[in-house]
Formats: sequence, structure tokens, C-alpha cells
Amino acid sequence: MMEETREVQGTWDLSTLKFRIEGVGLRRMLDGMKEGKLIGTKCHKCGTVYLPGPFNCRKCHIAINEPAEVSDHGEIMTFTIGYADVRGNPLEEPRVAPVVKLDGCDSWIMGVLQGVKPEDVHVGMRVKVQWAENLTGSLQDMAYYVPE
Amino acid sequence: MRNVGIIGIGYTPVFVSKRKDVNIPEMISEAVDAAFVNTGLTPADIDAIVFGNMHTFEGVNLPHLWAAEHIRSLGKPVMRIATGGTTGMAAFHAGYYNVASGLADVVMVVTYEKHSEGDAQVGLMGIITPELMTMLSAGIDVTGGSGMGAIGGGSAGGISFQASSYLYHSGAGIEHIDAQAALERRNAAKNPYAHLKDPEATAEKIAQTPLVSWPIRFGHICPTTDGATVCILASEERAAKLADKTAWVLSVANCASDATTANLIESQITDPAEHRPAVIASRQAYERAGIVDPKKEIDYVEIYNGFAHQTLMYLEKIGMCEVGEAHKLQEAGELEMSGRCPVNASGGVVSTNAIGTSALNRVTECALQVMGQAGEHQVEKDVHKALAHGWGGMMQYVTITILGDKPKKG
Ligand SMILES: [Zn+2]
Repeated sequence: MMEETREVQGTWDLSTLKFRIEGVGLRRMLDGMKEGKLIGTKCHKCGTVYLPGPFNCRKCHIAINEPAEVSDHGEIMTFTIGYADVRGNPLEEPRVAPVVKLDGCDSWIMGVLQGVKPEDVHVGMRVKVQWAENLTGSLQDMAYYVPE
Repeated sequence: MRNVGIIGIGYTPVFVSKRKDVNIPEMISEAVDAAFVNTGLTPADIDAIVFGNMHTFEGVNLPHLWAAEHIRSLGKPVMRIATGGTTGMAAFHAGYYNVASGLADVVMVVTYEKHSEGDAQVGLMGIITPELMTMLSAGIDVTGGSGMGAIGGGSAGGISFQASSYLYHSGAGIEHIDAQAALERRNAAKNPYAHLKDPEATAEKIAQTPLVSWPIRFGHICPTTDGATVCILASEERAAKLADKTAWVLSVANCASDATTANLIESQITDPAEHRPAVIASRQAYERAGIVDPKKEIDYVEIYNGFAHQTLMYLEKIGMCEVGEAHKLQEAGELEMSGRCPVNASGGVVSTNAIGTSALNRVTECALQVMGQAGEHQVEKDVHKALAHGWGGMMQYVTITILGDKPKKG
């Protein structure tokens, strides 16, 4: 590839891309995770609960800001089994990645599932969050899902 | 609104992985020249140009201006459209609006992609940069190994969630995705402008390709292609003077919903396989075209399927069959070129993907079928009405175009 490409130095300032989102919903979620809690945002009009919470309800198009605690148990809505990493290198063990709808929450959230064989995973399967040993207020605090 | 028809199509001579013999404007002008040769028109006949390709894929930000001489746009209105995978059809719709509104009589739509000069993964990463930066600052592991919201597998990751959900809700199996990929690669072998051609393709052969992210295998995924496509649109009055055959636009529609990819920061509430935009846009297009029962009235369909399961999934979304029925039509042979519901006789996007052209090629391929000019890949049944589907954006944007062999009345 080197003989076909040439490198040119340049920079983009990416620091401004995050300030708005970090303000409310994601910050609230990360702060709650320090105590092993999942705090989403509820729409005061239609009752939809989002985790992490957005500024506006996707359905009502109004500003929302009501905290709502979400369970760390939920149901697999869809899943995939990864055989390669993001660089395309084969993984030693296939990786099960479900998208989970947590109880009391209307939005879905991705993660990694452990403690189950890939062939036994199915849509509708009940799972729970396995929390990290040391909670630091990072997405890594929800270490992975395990069967309920 | 005025009636609008397709009066000419131009493709590059080949759609392949690497065109090292031409640069971007040179490759584009091959398709432009082909459109002029095929129609007998000259640049003087064209009132306006609409241009489409993916943003950032080749690191060229103003290709429509760089290639101004090659698209014969000097001194004329020109506009570039970029809506992700749907770019080609969004550009076509813009051309349609120009003519239907009466602003122009003849419009040339020019699209291209030259993947070999850029990096599709880098281009795709550019789409999610703001979200990725936020996720990184919140502690996400982008290698996908651990933690909440973990993603992995590039664009195939999000698509795998869609395919997995589709299989669960439709009752289809991975073997049906294998069979669909094989069917379309066999069709591609009959299309001179297709990229991946395999007249001997079988479901069993596709099933031997490695799993990338279950249920998606290597054999289910589109290639990266170099190529360009041009389509010339004209008003009814001008079409009568300029063309022997015309494929008439009966309706256009498009629809978006919330981003259904790794939308961690704003919460995903949509099943990636639900795809309401396809349902909404197709119903709107049927209504505008006066179509009551698409199953009976639409003779041919071109689906934008970057991944092979999408042919089956979108046939259900656009109402060509009931939910859970597409794989049964496939088993009965109805999706073949000889079947009752022929789809992607061109080989589909899964066989050829010069992205900027791909959604336009769905339209031009429908036009060839309607005009009876598809050659070796002309389907067996008569095609009076055909539907072209485009898919793209953040996985959630859909475009629809319906063509007919007669202009719309009234
Ligand atoms: Zn609401």
C-alpha cells in the first residue's frame, strides 16, 4: 500500500463535538453508574424512558429532563456473534454482542454477553448487567451482560 | 406537476475494483459520453446537471466542480447531492423535481464512486465522528471487547443486528441469505455492468465463506467498486421529440427515521429491522402513482441490498409480500428472472457497489426492464411497472421511485 499512498499532516479539533451531549443525559447516566445505578431520562408527556437521556423526546419533540431509574435486568432484542475485531483480525473466541432492552427503559443498548455458548443465545433471552469491581463513572462500569 | 421520463442511460464500460487507467473526471466522462452516444443528444440539449457521490470517500470534496468540463456543466445550473447510500436516487429525485416543476426540460444526473482512490471505512467513520468522540470520552471500548455500548466489526456490526432481528421476526434462516446472495451473483453474470459475477454461484458455495459477524458472512457483503452512471430525464414534450423509448416516472418518495446504528449518546429506540421509512415511503409512492395492490401491479423490483438479507427484508417492507413470506417466494423460485416476483436481475448492490451510483442504478435498471432493453438479464415477464428502492444514511433513510411504460394520466 505504501507505494500507492502518501501521508499529509493535518489536524481536526474534535473537542467541541461532545459538549452538548455530555451536558445532561450521558452525564446523569455516568454519575449514577458510580453507585451501580442506571439513571435515564423520562418524557413527562408520553412517558418514554431513554438511557442515556437525550435533550428531546424522539416521539413528542419536546425538551425533557426528568430522571428515571432503569433496571439492570433486561431482554435481548437482537444480537450478533463477532468472529473478527474491528481491524478484521480473527478473534480467539467468538464474541456475543446483544442489543438489550432493560426493564423500565424504552431505548436499547449494546454490550457484550458472557457465560453462555454462542449457539444458545436467542432473541427474548433474559440477561442482567455484570458490574465492574471498581465503579468509576465510565461505560466500562457495566462490564458485560450475563444470563439472568 | 409535469410528467417526466427517462430518455437515456450511460454506464462506464466496466464496474470493477480498480480503474487505474483513468482518474476521477476521466472515468465520469466515460459514462457521460456513453449517455450522449446512446441518446444522440449533445451537451447543448442539457438544461441542468445534478451530481451525486459519497462525501469524503475519495478525499475529494468538490468533485462536481473539479469535473465541470467532463460533465459538460460550464455555464449551466449544477448541484451536488450526497445522502449516503441513497445518493444516486436522491440525485435522480432532484433531477425529477427540476423537470416536473418546469424549471428545466432536460436534466442530466451524473453519479460516480471510485473506491480504489479512497477508503470506504474512513468515509463511514466520518459519519459517526461526533458520536464516537463522545463515546470515547465516556469510556467506550471501540475494539468491542468489553463495556456497555461496545461496538465491533465496522459497518457489518450494525447490519448484523438488523439481519439477526430480521431472521427472528420473519422465520427465515441464514441459508436463505446464502441463497439470495447466490441468486444475485448468478444474475450479475448476465449483466455486463456488474462487478462480482458467478454463473455457478450456489447457496452451498456462499455458505463456505467465513462468518464476519453472525448471521452475515463474507459472501453476503457487497464489493467496493469503481464506476459511474448517468441518467437523462426529460419532460413529456421533449421526450416525444428526443427519444424512441421512454421509461416514465410515476412517482417518487423518501423518508427518514432516527439513526438506528450505534446511536449510544441519544438512545436507540428503533429495531434496525423494523425500518418504518421503507414502509412509509413505499406507501406514499404507491398512492402518488395510483397503485392499489403492488403485489399485482408492480412487475419488477430493484432493491438496494448492500447485504444479501436486505433483498428479502425490503420486499416485505415495501409490501411486495407479507412479513415472513419473502424467503418462501425465494424457495418457490419466484424471485428468479423467470419468477412471478423477479428482483435484482442486475445482480443488485451485493454484486456491484460504486456507492454514489448504486441507488441510481436501481432506477436505471428498472428503466431498462420497463423499456425491454436489459439484454441478457431482461426478465421473462412483461414489465409495465417497476419499483426502485434506495437505502442509506445512518441506516435509516429510504428512497423509492416507481417507473412505468406509459406516462401518468392527469
Ligand atoms: Zn414523549
